[in-house]
Amino acid sequence: MKQSYDITIIGAGAAGLSAALEAYDDTLDILIIEREKNFGGILNQCIHNGFGLHVFKEELTGPEYAQKLIDLVMEKQIDYLLDTTVLNISKDEVFSIKATNITSGEFIIESKSVILTTGCYERARGHVDIPGDRPKGIMTAGSAQRYLNIDGYLVGKKVFILGSGDIGLIMARRMTLEGATVLGVAELMPYSNGLTRNIVQCLNDFDIPLYLSHTIKEVVGKEKLEKVIIQQVDENRQFIENTEKTFEVDTLLLSIGLIPDVKLFESLSIDTDPLTKSALVNQKLETSVKGLYACGNALHVHDLVDDVTIESRKAGKYAKAYVINQKDIDKKQVPIRFDHHIRYVVPQVVDYHLIDEPFDVLFRATQKHDVLKLVIKQGDQVIRKKTLKYVVPAEMQKVQIKPEDLINDLPIEIMVEEV
Amino acid sequence: MYDFTIIGAGIVGSLIARELSKYDLKVCVLEKENDVANVQTRANSAIVHSGHDPKHGTLKARLSVEGNKLYEDLEKELHISLLRTGAFVCAKDKDEVNDMKKLYENALLNQVKDMEFLSIEEARVLEPNLNPSIKKVLSLPTTKVCFPWEVAFFALENAIKNGVELHRNALVTEITHTNHMFTIKTKDNQTYQTKHVINAAGVYTDEIATLINPNIPYQIKPRKGEYYVLDKSVKGYMEHVIYPMPSKKGKGVLITPQVHGNILLGPTSEWVSDKDDISTSLKGLHYIKEHIKDMAINVPYHLIIRQFAGVRSTSTYEDFYIQEDDAVKGFYHVAGVDSPGITAAPAIAKYLVDEVIKLSLPVKHTFNPILQKKIVYKDLSKQEKDELHQDKPLYGRIICKCEDITEQEIIDAIHGPLGSDTIKGVKKRARAGSGLCQGGYCESLVLRIIARETHKPLHEVNYDQKETQILDKESKVGS
Repeated sequence: MKQSYDITIIGAGAAGLSAALEAYDDTLDILIIEREKNFGGILNQCIHNGFGLHVFKEELTGPEYAQKLIDLVMEKQIDYLLDTTVLNISKDEVFSIKATNITSGEFIIESKSVILTTGCYERARGHVDIPGDRPKGIMTAGSAQRYLNIDGYLVGKKVFILGSGDIGLIMARRMTLEGATVLGVAELMPYSNGLTRNIVQCLNDFDIPLYLSHTIKEVVGKEKLEKVIIQQVDENRQFIENTEKTFEVDTLLLSIGLIPDVKLFESLSIDTDPLTKSALVNQKLETSVKGLYACGNALHVHDLVDDVTIESRKAGKYAKAYVINQKDIDKKQVPIRFDHHIRYVVPQVVDYHLIDEPFDVLFRATQKHDVLKLVIKQGDQVIRKKTLKYVVPAEMQKVQIKPEDLINDLPIEIMVEEV
Repeated sequence: MYDFTIIGAGIVGSLIARELSKYDLKVCVLEKENDVANVQTRANSAIVHSGHDPKHGTLKARLSVEGNKLYEDLEKELHISLLRTGAFVCAKDKDEVNDMKKLYENALLNQVKDMEFLSIEEARVLEPNLNPSIKKVLSLPTTKVCFPWEVAFFALENAIKNGVELHRNALVTEITHTNHMFTIKTKDNQTYQTKHVINAAGVYTDEIATLINPNIPYQIKPRKGEYYVLDKSVKGYMEHVIYPMPSKKGKGVLITPQVHGNILLGPTSEWVSDKDDISTSLKGLHYIKEHIKDMAINVPYHLIIRQFAGVRSTSTYEDFYIQEDDAVKGFYHVAGVDSPGITAAPAIAKYLVDEVIKLSLPVKHTFNPILQKKIVYKDLSKQEKDELHQDKPLYGRIICKCEDITEQEIIDAIHGPLGSDTIKGVKKRARAGSGLCQGGYCESLVLRIIARETHKPLHEVNYDQKETQILDKESKVGS
């Protein structure tokens, strides 16, 4: 192993592996650092199928999807460090990455460019107000998934799920198949936060009820969970009287959202976006720190691993170009603006000095629309119009902007034409 | 036969045990829980108050001022964490400004040092997030913050090293007194014979006391307090402990920086009938936000990572009740230790031993007040880290990525005289799972390490108390 690299990728999940493959060039030194003992990240515990249709044109399980990427990384003989945790990153002339493992203890690796692919973490009980007792038996859906698919254990027999995020839906099916009884799923919002296919295949097919506009009023059980009481809420999220339902369960799984894991940003002064809770990036997926790229769920939470690969390939490609060219181009960054129909956009800024090819603006809607008519403007001038059908917050949308679409140096604005 | 048996291994019981371990005595501590400092000591504001608000002349006033000073010794001897924050008491209107003068007078009588009044403008230079509508601020530079669980844990570990015995899962069910000797029976069918009993059972002191004397002059009326915990990335938002003016309900809802960089918001104060009620409520959490508003702006609620509640053993006697029983000689009450109990705890231990029991023995020559400093790997220098890693390579592997806790620190938490083999026990000792992801990442890794270190299958590892296994046994071995 060398002490200095051209590009270092932190994380060897779908994003890290995809970025590494695209950054690969036999003239460059590339290193992948992964804290787990295996490559693959969260894909290793996602043993269900549904991955890979876009990227590999076939339907794969999570571990199979990961293996395809791992095989390619092995083939290219890219350097890697497993079972190694990055503690912090600083930047002077080049990046200085402080990491630790059993073999070496703490050590430093220097790198010209860094791609952060550290994924996301799940919101836990403490991140939201779930009132009541504090027994064992309440955990995130992802934790239960890991215990079941990696360690081979169910965490309980009678299960209720809060939140209709995809992991919760997948676990509703998975635990049912393993012999547990899933009594229901409660979702605070009037719509599901998971993919439609997961509602159908994981809940409807198993007659598991989904309680929309419901949330937990109280959890009961001193040492072990005994029951959860849910209640319906109105449009202002206030409880509606006499709508309580009680479920006697030993397990409450939480599937209430994923947050990018950006701990490594702490040691760098980086511009962040409070909406994605991650770095603010330009269309090259470069953060406000030159040479530092972010992609995958560490940048914003994706619905499909295929989308993670597609985005991370771009980060790999741009990091490679950065290292090879290393030209000091003055920045000309302008924000991408949007109205209240949109929850967030990625990238958040466009650098007009770096426009050389089309780029995607990814976004999520704030609510459900059967038809969403978008108008993309620069100043007063409309540069594009696009109509999207069946738009839900749970499914990411995108608009492609071509260099020829841009007619001036004013910020791009994405607005919704009132229906 | 023991000379002294202490019932309860909270911060008070543990510090009493350490105080008695100075002498050539046979001492044991009985704890009903599977871990020390598991009830009142575990869930509170963690403040070492300056002693400003207990009414002058009370035991609370005297022992909190003395206790505050004794924390300096505990820092030197036990290497406890101590954050010298200072505190600001905030008056929000004219009436409170008037009351603040009385509070100041009372604090002067209590011999609180170095106090001064500040205008809100002066205070906001130091704490820009104070609410500008505050009318006046009383600065209390001697206020500090500790980690109460650690104080109890280190005190008891030091006591054990000096000869004290600890029995966990020992719920006292019966006490009899004959021929100047007590016989104590516990739920796990053990019998202990002892010359003296010290009742430091927190919220249960009244129930323990009535086992031997039905006519005690106090009753415990538990009060519950709910809190929010903000992630350590909040560091710098507020560096002083921020109090509103005290009221009949106590010190009110506070903003309290913690030794590990977090901030606590709370507590509420609500009478409860169930002494084990540590549930949180929407009403309580809402109450916190409503009251924080008066004191602070820009409150970073998006950094909330946890809610919790604790009970305080408020007694009908109103002051601390630290006395020998009137009827049963050799039985000592340490009751009604609610706020400022954490602050007063080291002084309570000394007061009990020196002025109530009036023990006049020479300190034994083998007594060692110093506890070796616990290793927190991330806080060490590169050279210290390298030396430790050479010897124990598992210091090189991070398990809790939010708090940078290594595998060796988790192993250290499992073994040792006061080790624990539960997820919660490891969390309390090594902080694995205390960070932003709340154990979402490391819990399964910690569970594996506990199983390996204690030679148990994964499905026998408990979350906390007995029979709280995380994994379902039958799903693995078949049924």
